[in-house]
Amino acid sequence: METILIVEDDAKLAGLLSAYLSKYEYHTVIVKDFSAVLDSFQESSAELVLLDVNLPKYDGFYWCRQIRSLSLCPILFISARDSGMDQVMALENGGDDYITKPFHYEVVLAKIRSHLRRAYGSYAQNQEERKLQSGNLTLYPERLVIQYHGETAELTQKEVLLLEALLQKEGRVVSRERLLDLMWEDQHFIDDNTLNVYITRVRKKLKDLGLEEAVETIRGAGYRLSLSGINE
Amino acid sequence: MMRLFWKDQLPLLLIYAAQTVLVPLLYWLSGENRPIRIILYGMSLNLVILALYLGFRYLQHYRLYQRLSHPESARLDYRSSLGTAPLPEAMDELIRRYDQHNQEQLNTQVRRMDQHIEFINRWVHQMKTPLSVIQLTLQDVEGAAADSIQEELERLRKGLEMVIYTARLDRFEDDFHVEPTFLRQAVSEAVSENRRLFIRRGIRPVIQISEELSVYTDAKWLRFMLTQILTNAVNYTQGTDKSVTITSYSQGMDNILQITDQGIGISPEDLKRVFNPYFTGERGRQYHESTGMGLYLVREICTRLGHKVELESRPGEGTVLRLIFSGTRSLQ
Repeated sequence: METILIVEDDAKLAGLLSAYLSKYEYHTVIVKDFSAVLDSFQESSAELVLLDVNLPKYDGFYWCRQIRSLSLCPILFISARDSGMDQVMALENGGDDYITKPFHYEVVLAKIRSHLRRAYGSYAQNQEERKLQSGNLTLYPERLVIQYHGETAELTQKEVLLLEALLQKEGRVVSRERLLDLMWEDQHFIDDNTLNVYITRVRKKLKDLGLEEAVETIRGAGYRLSLSGINE
Repeated sequence: MMRLFWKDQLPLLLIYAAQTVLVPLLYWLSGENRPIRIILYGMSLNLVILALYLGFRYLQHYRLYQRLSHPESARLDYRSSLGTAPLPEAMDELIRRYDQHNQEQLNTQVRRMDQHIEFINRWVHQMKTPLSVIQLTLQDVEGAAADSIQEELERLRKGLEMVIYTARLDRFEDDFHVEPTFLRQAVSEAVSENRRLFIRRGIRPVIQISEELSVYTDAKWLRFMLTQILTNAVNYTQGTDKSVTITSYSQGMDNILQITDQGIGISPEDLKRVFNPYFTGERGRQYHESTGMGLYLVREICTRLGHKVELESRPGEGTVLRLIFSGTRSLQ
């Protein structure tokens, strides 16, 4: 379990980040005393630092240089400032990456993962692959595979995205807008009809596994994956 | 310049003429019959002294006269000395005082404006933290309310962005970096960034731009302009199965980016004024979305980056906006 030090003076934001990262099995330490960031860093022996730029007393650039004098751990800046100059400053002061506010959890998590992998080679260490499970249904997003009662089906990238979103909110409605937004990756536009096509394919694959009518259409709202009743 | 000099000296010349006539008249009246030669001699002697005086005076005040007769061209070097004679020196002093006063006022204003911009910048950045908190909190909330909040959140974010870019416009010279930029990529990113808007309105973006086409521009400002243009294009389009088409083509040395919507269009009488700040026009009032600043900012940015912007519209059919990257060869 890696330790992440969160240096953010907005207590709520720090709390939200900490809670979210804890869900993904990271140990987090939130800095409380902004005059002694370096002490917190040493005490926590953090493997990675999330660092705000605007801080009371000294700014993030200052603390970044201080931490750099002790450690080579990844330091990711989190800042509201989005000018090129600030990003250059961050990198020149020893930062490894720059995330601008407002951000999504996924972005922070993805960057943390990638930097931890690069810094500690935790590919090997953190072998546990991501999986989403509900009863006997298991989705392996990285392998593009879904499993039900020992039966498996192969999925495409887009189908995985859909199923992941539906599984995460199992039993609740996921709006069409949310799904379109998720699937509109890499600047490639997905329209309503295309979404229908993907949903149909997902239904077919679930059906092949013996899960009939698991994905419900909620008119005017979106889709819902309900496994209760069918999935013991 | 000579005219001003002669006009200035006219009273003296008149007095001199009067005196020149007065002396022989006095001689004549008093019956003292001086030979005409002596009189003429005295007059010419006086004339020489007058000429010397005028010459000296002219040289002494040369720069003053020069400056006074060409006030417009003198603006550039208004601080250089006018000369050492009492009048030019006094004039110098006066100008210096005025200048000092104006400079002080100007500095105060500049400082005040800088402070204001600084304040706006800081404030916008401060607002981004609560925005982050709302956004992150929202990810665990469901339902129609969450979608609605998300929509408002995006409007807030765009509003803040507009504020900060407007403030930046005043310091444009320190804040831009022109380099070859791939148009297709810039457009795709801008469209993707505004994808929720497209999704919500059910409007399809169609991008037809060659992958290799690049233009000289500032990527950050271009992105901002595209967001403004796309937001307009989508907000003023209604109905199903509508699209916003983004294409590019070359015309001579220019590369042109064309954004076509199928929206409500702009009436001919509004067309000229849509680039004015705060102008919302008929459709803005109808749709309550408009701040009237989007197109104004687009034109201002275009002017500063050396691009051009054109607008063509037919009410009821749609609007075509063209960004013209003039004189920039494509770097294929």
